[in-house]
Amino acid sequence: MKLKKKFAFIGLIIILVLSSCNDYEKYPIEQYTIDYVFSTTDSLGVNAKGYLDAIYAIMYNGHNRVGGDYLDAATDDALSSSLKESSVQNLFSGGYTSISLIGGEMEWGRYYAGIRKANTLINHIDVVPLMKTFKNNVEDSIPLKRAWKAETRFLRAYFYFELIKRYGGVPIVSETPYKLGDDLEIPRNTFGQCIDYIVSELDTIKDSLRSIPIADVNSDGHVVTQEAAMALKCRVLLYAASPLFNERPIATDKDAQKPLVGYESYDVERWKRAADAAKQFIDAYPYFSLSINSSTVFLNDYGMNNNKEVIFFRQGSKNTQIEYNNGPLGFSGNNLGLGRTSPTQNLVDAFPMKDGKAINDPTSKYTYSLSDMYKNRDPRLEQTVLHNGSKWLNTVLETFEGGANNPAGATQKTKTSYYLRKFMGGFESQASYAEQLHNWVMFRYPELLLNYAEAINEYAGPSEPVYKVLKDLRKRDKIEAGTNAMYGLNPSMNKDEMRVAIQNERRIEMAFEEQRYWDIRRWRIAEEIFTKPLQGLSIVKDGATLNFNVITVASTNFETKRYLYPIPYSEVVKNSKMIQNPKW
Amino acid sequence: MKRLILFIICIQFVVLTFAQQVQLNGKVRSTDGDELIGVSIRFEGTSKGTITDLDGNFKLTANVGDKLIFTYVGFKKETVVVTGQPVLNMKLVPDQAGLDEVVVVGYGKAKRISMTGAVSAINARELRNIPTSSVQNALYGKLPGFFTQQRSGQPGKDASDFFIRGVSSLNSEGNKPLIIVDDVQYSYDQLQQINMNEIESISILKDASTTAIYGIKGANGVLVVKTRRGVEGKTKITARYEVGIQMPVITPRFLDSYQTATLVNEAYKNDGLNQIFTDEDLRLFQTGEDPYGHPNVNWNDEIFKKYAYQQNANVDISGGSKNLQYFITAGIFSQNGLVKDFSDSFNEVNTNYFYRRFNYRTNLDFNVTKTLNLRLDMSTRFMNINEPRSVNAVGEMNDFSKMRPYSAPVLNPNGTYAYIYDTDDKNPTLNARLANEGYKRSRRFDSNILFSANQKLDFLAKGLSTSFRVAYSSIDENYRQAARYSYPTYHYDSKTEKYTIHPDKNYAYGNYAINGDQVQSIKDLNLQAYLNYETIIKEDHNLKLMLLYNRQSRTVDKNDYEGAAAQVPANFEGYTSTIGYNYKDKYMADLNMAYNGTDRFGKNNRYGFFPAIGLGYSISKEKFFEESLPEIQLLKFRTSYGLVGSDVAPGNRYLYKQVYERGSGYNFGEANEKTYDSYREGALGNEFVTWEKARKFDVGIDLNMFDKLSLTVDYFYDYRYDQLVVKQDIPLILGIGVSPENIAKTSNSGFDGQIGYQTKIGSVNFNTNFVFSYAKNKVIYKAEAEQRYAWLAETGKPIGQPFGYTFVGYYSQDDINMIKSGNLTTDGKVAVAIPNTDVPVQAGDLKYKDLNTDGIINDYDKGAIGKPNLPSTTLGWSFGAQYKGFSANLLFQGSFDYSFSVVGTGIESFKSQFQPVHLNRWTQERADNGEPIEFPRLTRNPSSVNSAEAYMSDFWLVNALYVRLKTVDLSYQIPDKLLPSSIGSARLYMNAYNLFTLTNYSKYQQDPEIRSNSAGDAYMNQRVIIIGVQMNL
Repeated sequence: MKLKKKFAFIGLIIILVLSSCNDYEKYPIEQYTIDYVFSTTDSLGVNAKGYLDAIYAIMYNGHNRVGGDYLDAATDDALSSSLKESSVQNLFSGGYTSISLIGGEMEWGRYYAGIRKANTLINHIDVVPLMKTFKNNVEDSIPLKRAWKAETRFLRAYFYFELIKRYGGVPIVSETPYKLGDDLEIPRNTFGQCIDYIVSELDTIKDSLRSIPIADVNSDGHVVTQEAAMALKCRVLLYAASPLFNERPIATDKDAQKPLVGYESYDVERWKRAADAAKQFIDAYPYFSLSINSSTVFLNDYGMNNNKEVIFFRQGSKNTQIEYNNGPLGFSGNNLGLGRTSPTQNLVDAFPMKDGKAINDPTSKYTYSLSDMYKNRDPRLEQTVLHNGSKWLNTVLETFEGGANNPAGATQKTKTSYYLRKFMGGFESQASYAEQLHNWVMFRYPELLLNYAEAINEYAGPSEPVYKVLKDLRKRDKIEAGTNAMYGLNPSMNKDEMRVAIQNERRIEMAFEEQRYWDIRRWRIAEEIFTKPLQGLSIVKDGATLNFNVITVASTNFETKRYLYPIPYSEVVKNSKMIQNPKW
Repeated sequence: MKRLILFIICIQFVVLTFAQQVQLNGKVRSTDGDELIGVSIRFEGTSKGTITDLDGNFKLTANVGDKLIFTYVGFKKETVVVTGQPVLNMKLVPDQAGLDEVVVVGYGKAKRISMTGAVSAINARELRNIPTSSVQNALYGKLPGFFTQQRSGQPGKDASDFFIRGVSSLNSEGNKPLIIVDDVQYSYDQLQQINMNEIESISILKDASTTAIYGIKGANGVLVVKTRRGVEGKTKITARYEVGIQMPVITPRFLDSYQTATLVNEAYKNDGLNQIFTDEDLRLFQTGEDPYGHPNVNWNDEIFKKYAYQQNANVDISGGSKNLQYFITAGIFSQNGLVKDFSDSFNEVNTNYFYRRFNYRTNLDFNVTKTLNLRLDMSTRFMNINEPRSVNAVGEMNDFSKMRPYSAPVLNPNGTYAYIYDTDDKNPTLNARLANEGYKRSRRFDSNILFSANQKLDFLAKGLSTSFRVAYSSIDENYRQAARYSYPTYHYDSKTEKYTIHPDKNYAYGNYAINGDQVQSIKDLNLQAYLNYETIIKEDHNLKLMLLYNRQSRTVDKNDYEGAAAQVPANFEGYTSTIGYNYKDKYMADLNMAYNGTDRFGKNNRYGFFPAIGLGYSISKEKFFEESLPEIQLLKFRTSYGLVGSDVAPGNRYLYKQVYERGSGYNFGEANEKTYDSYREGALGNEFVTWEKARKFDVGIDLNMFDKLSLTVDYFYDYRYDQLVVKQDIPLILGIGVSPENIAKTSNSGFDGQIGYQTKIGSVNFNTNFVFSYAKNKVIYKAEAEQRYAWLAETGKPIGQPFGYTFVGYYSQDDINMIKSGNLTTDGKVAVAIPNTDVPVQAGDLKYKDLNTDGIINDYDKGAIGKPNLPSTTLGWSFGAQYKGFSANLLFQGSFDYSFSVVGTGIESFKSQFQPVHLNRWTQERADNGEPIEFPRLTRNPSSVNSAEAYMSDFWLVNALYVRLKTVDLSYQIPDKLLPSSIGSARLYMNAYNLFTLTNYSKYQQDPEIRSNSAGDAYMNQRVIIIGVQMNL
């Protein structure tokens, strides 16, 4: 080759290379963007639905939710069997600060993320040309888009409520999602403003939602319904009327905190609002009734078996997870149980005798004795806990010291001689666990009844409707009616006595459903409750006899500041307008 | 005196006059035994002489008494007086800091004498004998400014992390130096795969003047590797074989069953629980009478061998004609793991750790015409890493919740496997698991091809040339594993002599399940086009120009939710130019520039301009200096200043855009739940995101004197800004993560250098070299929210500053009594600060300082404790001596001024196995007797104040230093006359690596380079001793 040719050849290569250099993609074509998710051509709304799903998924499934435990294991109803320090143990004992928060429970960021997602959907869903319509109990043809928007607004209201019951008044953020550079120094709204906001949202969206019974449960089960919205409203108003926020909010360090931790003055009419909301619900939705068998409520959807008690639930799946986590020790293979939850003697003692009278009530026709305490009790006891002598997996449980289900040694096992029974499938007489649908029931009819009873009692004192609620529940659960058909209830209770009765009924009816943890707070009785230690049983086998000893398994003292969680430290330092809760 | 000299000169003259002529024959070699081609041999004071031929031989006629001077680039000058002997074999010693030494720098070479930048270089000849598989592990203590930390000793996964001049970015990935091999970018793990035998030399580029040409990738310094090439001459074959053993640097000692059981009982008692071992149990542990009922197993000894083998073999072939030169090398490296062989008749799979690597490289140069040169380099590497599936043997060994010395016998009396009967998970014993649960083997194939053409364009202008280069590399890695989940293990009850099968296992052995997947697949294409111009104007003005266009495109296949797919290539493109001017090696100036960018950033923020200037002044070249201080051969001052960048950023590749993530969602429906894809908003995009920048200043001195002493010292100051970090002051109310922004600022400054000394005493050559590096950084700004207390702030502290509690002693019984009795002083204040936990403190618990004096020990009391984990100071000191065929080299390496801690299963009671340090725990009795207390009260509560994981404090943080005898290298050149004629030369050598380690702590039985805050369950760093032979055929 001639020199010049060679030079030309090399030059050519270089030119070729240089000329092919502008192939950077203009934008990341393979990535999803907001225009993809809310697409102007997606007439089925597939992607937008996917976005909505992710908002639903922010709602927690309460089963073994907090670090592997039920939230109620941080109350006097139970404790965690975990040998390691567990999140609920920290919740129970106050082992948290504004810096070291309890993961899975003090989720400030999670709910604000949910709120942002909801705002994003509400702001963008309009571009999606979704054609489908649905009918509810108000109209026959409503655009489905309207329902999605309403569901999202429900979820947003629900997230706010989850924040309020933990922190008091929280910042209500702009309904347009924030951009980088926006002013994020947003002050907390007052408690009252937050309640009003949630209630008005729920009232607004009510008629845009689907209603129960859902037309096509096989594709639309689990969606937010009008009934769910109204049940939430009822709960929100009940909390707002409760002593912690209404009559006796906690003392504050500075005046600015006052409107945040509750209402600044007591107003008995708040009880009236709560009672009215509950009454409206009961009247407006005659579909609901108490199931025949309360133990199956948690195992079925509303479509199946005509479960008319469940109002709203967070979807779970079919598995044996709850049995595995909480079932008694002493089984193996498929039947392996880790016994994570240890119900307390305190809870067991709260269940009345079969005739509805308290355990040590001398007027009861049944006598209570420590060594034979499970006989002739409220049938709900058997549906809630497993105890020594319970039948489970075709076996009689031995939870005495060293028994098959309470072996010696430092393993995770019951600390109280009790295991959790509630939520598990009916495995009393089965040879082994089978997969079981485990939804998390968030609203069910008995709560509405109890809300109503509580609110009306607080507003106007005991009356026939209040008694009716308690009697209905007791009747359903097969407590003996007694000769006076009062199901063991004292027919002449005053307001305070009735309050105690309602609180106890709520405790045992809704045990482990994430009610009591919040109830003892909103009732402002936690300080008093926790003066009594948590108790369990140590059953010692001596030959053929079992000796029952009540033992203390845990105790705490509840500092007043713990009625509200601390706002995360990082939020307070990042936002000069963020006011910390008292004493944190 | 003068007279004496005169007399000697006279004598010499006389001798010379009557000298007898000698016909001299000889061979010149390096101290490594390589024949040196083209060594200049001349008579002193004349230009007469000869050079060595292709075999290193020379012939010449001289008179007895003549002085012959041997010179060769890169080697010390030697002078020999001719005696009557006709054979004169010479050994030349490498010059540590010769003036004419040529080092590789970015896209070229530079002479030490005329460099303006801060570069440390090493000839790979010094590294080849070091028995480690990773290049970066061989560089310990050798290069000023080079910081290394080896986190694991697992075969094949033992490559050190390394940093040039410490760290300066808050971006955790953003401190990795750029690695350039033959002008092509390599990744960390590609570097690890290179066989040291392929390497000619390694340089690290430290300042702006030398790194600016890499522009947007240069801010962390650059490690430049040049591979070996053939030289014209007859074919040379070098074969090397070495074999050796490796053993852990530290073998941890755990307490036996009796001691463990005693301490367990004590802890239970401390916690108010019933003791679990009876006196009879303790007696049986102590006597060992009941080896199956009360076992006493030292699991460490049962599972691990004392040592394992490693082998290394290489063959190099090089040579060539005028038109074709070649260098071909092939190597095998094999390293076994320390786990014993547990295979049995049911298991013929190898579950041990091991590493095998096969390297092959061909570097070819063709001189097609007088002006056209082509180059073709091909290299491939195959690698296998084997490890037990499902078992981190070291981790489980340490973990008290997994096994205890009394948990189970190694095997039951009937030879069956046992399982750990007394733990929660009741796993089979570790030996049973290693025997049965299968292996995981990663297989990786690396290949690199580099084609280059260089055309001289002297017809256009003298000194002009152009070259073009294509480099392609690919990495493919997949793994295969064999897993067995079911096999029988039994618990043997020594009282009843009955066997109980593990509750979850079958009687039969399950089949092995085989599975595997792609781990990574990366393709990288790099194109470069150069224009070079080099000219000398009026004899003294040296001018060098280089212009380079460079583009790179990297495609990574990823396995993710979307399945395996090739991602959009990551692209890089840019121009680089250097202008070098040098006047008589006296004044020199370099102007280096790069204009380049990556598609990591938004359209308007992709390209950056990175200029740097370097100036040098050799005062020793001044006439007055040469005359007045002739013993100083070199005294040079240099300085550089410039701007470089870093495009590494955390998180999503498209930081400038908000990307939605796809994942599983929420199911709707009842009987038949339908799953839909769900979409989630990703972090908010930041359209202004751009590269990090560093302004680097360097000033340095080079000094050579007496022909023996050399010194280089550099001071540097880097100001790193526009660092990509996520702002710390955005409230969660935003509801979404945000992309990093260019906000943080840090400074990093320090000095590094080396002092070398070489001398010859009699016929012994000595050399010593001291290398030092010091770097200290500080966070200037990182958008941190204003903290409630000043001590919580990270701004103003070094990068990686640990935070935790301050240990002030142990709670005494008086403290506890005080707490119980109300805990108030007479003036109503809290008397004893107590931790905010539900576990009440007891006497002997660790007591921490209450920084905010609120009486509660909680997160507000966590201040800065100790120092970052990366040492601020690292030193290397080597000594070498050569005498005839013998040579010896020692290298001590040390790191100073850093902190580390071991947590969890590494040290804490009931998490870790009980260790000797636990014997020195706090007890009331020991405290009263004044015995040394090195550990808090034992407790089985894992989250008490005594836990390092829950309450990190400076009690756990060790301010550490270590000194290692890093390498010992002894070799012997076998005299040629003892060798058969077919062998040109042969050398025997012995080499040790990490021979001993001195540390200043006794708390942890851990290597000093362990990752801080880890459980100390990484495979221990290894001490290696090898013997080898090298033959030139």
